[in-house]
Amino acid sequence: MTLQTCLLLAFFLFAIGIYGILTRRNAIGILISMELMLNAANINFIAFAHFRAEDATAGSVFSLFVIAATACEMAIALAIAITVYRRHGHLDVDELRELRDPDV
Amino acid sequence: MDLIPFKDLLFCATAVVMVAAALLTVLAKNILHSAVALICTFFGTAVLYFLLSAEFIAVAQVMVYIGGVVVFVVFTILLTSRLGERVQEISRSRKIVAFVFSLLVAILAFSFLRELGMVLQEQTEDFATLAAIGKRLLSPDETGFLLPFEAISLLLLISLIGAVSIARIPSDDKNEEAK
Repeated sequence: MTLQTCLLLAFFLFAIGIYGILTRRNAIGILISMELMLNAANINFIAFAHFRAEDATAGSVFSLFVIAATACEMAIALAIAITVYRRHGHLDVDELRELRDPDV
Repeated sequence: MDLIPFKDLLFCATAVVMVAAALLTVLAKNILHSAVALICTFFGTAVLYFLLSAEFIAVAQVMVYIGGVVVFVVFTILLTSRLGERVQEISRSRKIVAFVFSLLVAILAFSFLRELGMVLQEQTEDFATLAAIGKRLLSPDETGFLLPFEAISLLLLISLIGAVSIARIPSDDKNEEAK
């Protein structure tokens, strides 16, 4: 277990998350893939804090803030998802195009 | 040290499980299955944090992500999907584009990793203990995080109020439904 292997794992998870974001059509599926990417970023924080940092505590505190911000973001995003579902009856992002310019 | 090979073995097992669960998360047809796979990924991450000697973050991960966020997600899925709903198909070209794009990102990341070069040994001291984290979070001096801590608690409060006010049915609609 070195810094490189940890970063490798995080990059793999990040790439998988990007694939998920680009292939999902359900809005909640996109949110789930986004969670994967945020998780990968957090792994980077902890890995660098463990292997390199002069101040490991600061790295841990930083990833705590990331976790809290993610919880906020998820609460808002899911509230928006519920509102969209109530208004449209589905969460298919390909069909949600009310703001699109009709001329284009 | 007898512990080091065991640690490496555990790391490899965790990494394999995490990547497999993450693949299942993005590839599962049923969105509920992918939420369950997400739990596996988060749990693997918590184990990884334990291996990286960040115990408090590991526990926070289990509590906030698995206990909070995923439960949120599962509730929303159950509220917004109908039983027996047709799965929306993705075109093959879009899958290929997504695969190429994620491959590009992975290659970019690996090239950065090669730049990084040297192999670093893990630190044996100055781990983030619970006491140290608690003191740093609330100390008002230069190295402390008192102001960000207060800001993030305010952010949590604001986002909770925001979530409730976004998801709530406006009172006009309710009156119309009653009529």
